[in-house]
Amino acid sequence: MTQTTEDDRLLIEAAQADPARFVGIYERYVDRIYAFVRRRTENRAAAEDITSQVFEQALGAIGRFEWRGAPVAAWLFRIASNALADHWRERARDAQVTPPDVPDPGELEDIDRRIALYQHVEQLPELQRQVIQMRFVEEKSIREVATALDRSEGAVKQLQLRALESLRKSMGGHD
Amino acid sequence: MTERPLTDRLDETVDAIVARRDATDALRDPELAPLARIAADLRHYPSPEFKASLRAQLERRASMTAVTTAIRQGFTTVTPYIRVREAGLVDFLAQVFDARETFSGRGSGGGMHREVRVGDSMVIIGEGDAGGGGVMPIRPVAFHVFVNDADATFERAIAAGATPLGEPADRAYGERSGFVADPFGNHWYIATPLGRESVAGALRTVTPVLHVKGAAAYVEFLKRALGAIEEMRHDEGGQLRYARLRIGDGAIELGEGEPMPGSFLLYVGDPDALYQQALAAGATSLMPPTDQPYGRIGGVEDALGNQWFFSRPVTTSS
Repeated sequence: MTQTTEDDRLLIEAAQADPARFVGIYERYVDRIYAFVRRRTENRAAAEDITSQVFEQALGAIGRFEWRGAPVAAWLFRIASNALADHWRERARDAQVTPPDVPDPGELEDIDRRIALYQHVEQLPELQRQVIQMRFVEEKSIREVATALDRSEGAVKQLQLRALESLRKSMGGHD
Repeated sequence: MTERPLTDRLDETVDAIVARRDATDALRDPELAPLARIAADLRHYPSPEFKASLRAQLERRASMTAVTTAIRQGFTTVTPYIRVREAGLVDFLAQVFDARETFSGRGSGGGMHREVRVGDSMVIIGEGDAGGGGVMPIRPVAFHVFVNDADATFERAIAAGATPLGEPADRAYGERSGFVADPFGNHWYIATPLGRESVAGALRTVTPVLHVKGAAAYVEFLKRALGAIEEMRHDEGGQLRYARLRIGDGAIELGEGEPMPGSFLLYVGDPDALYQQALAAGATSLMPPTDQPYGRIGGVEDALGNQWFFSRPVTTSS
């Protein structure tokens, strides 16, 4: 039994004994499910809605879930795939929408690389992390970020550059 | 010409990436290209606020689920409470759905209190004029019930005295279903899932169905009042036709229609807190939480006449 499989088994057993422990499954897989869903949705709000649905449904079904040794991620990807199909079906009335395939090994590798990047963002110095969040999550302009942080636009551009250079190095890039 | 500073070139690239404009020029700039690739990946960086808020939402719901499981084995957070004037509904449910009575006893008002298991779901039935703590009206309610063979169950219901409301047919929403009214007027939407489109996988055997006027606004009320979570929704012609809501580990379905309000018992860890939350959301008090021989219970009625009772039985392990 691999470490992942053993971890999955323990997470499932804990959540079935005490639903409050479901948060362990959430913490382990939220980034992966979000990354899978985000690539297949038109915007951040839709990706957040669908990711919420996936974990709500998984929590609702955890008591009935029969673990047969397959990775928990595969179960969550299947729920996500059906939720995505529902989402697109809603937007394309009368059209036949087939649920997207769960990620292949190439996409899984890509998702894991991005999750590693996001973890590095969380390790950045606070000001740099705030700049990344405001620019990429909140989609603020440099001027808006400068106002929010009470810095000059030039200073924010410097922080942005330093953050991205630091992330590049953390991800194995070279100077 | 003097080359523009890297900070400016990078910032323009980030602007283009965030706005989903063409940023491929950056890939031809050897100094900029590796940073542009990182920036492209950051476009899908999940919002920390979203992750924290979803985590808190799951924790709230999980704690409701855990409390219900600890309080009453076999129950979910939401249990429909049907009031009827005379005995007979239990027999009807046994004949049609193979239901089993798990408890019966005389209630404090003098009527009979019965608890019935239908498949994996519980239904409470109060019999007699004086039941329901004097605040629950006798009125029919509606249910979605999943069975192995909708046609055979429909026939059994008719044989047991039900009135047909809709013959069994394949429905566009992924089930074969027939509709009946039992001899007490309650509606039963008897369904067998047909395929992937069916909602059966997310529901237990019996799910209460609320027909309401102003369904979209009512969903928002239930979110505020009871912490309900919208799991599925279908709008058509500007109206909410169908929604599936999760409350703790229980579920209800609702949609726009001729009102059939019902009464529901919610097993929760802190009835006082939920009572206050429901009042703050606009519900009216039916009974403030008080200690009764069987546990602590309080209740509210919402603007559409549905009643919600919050209970923590004395057997609770905290």
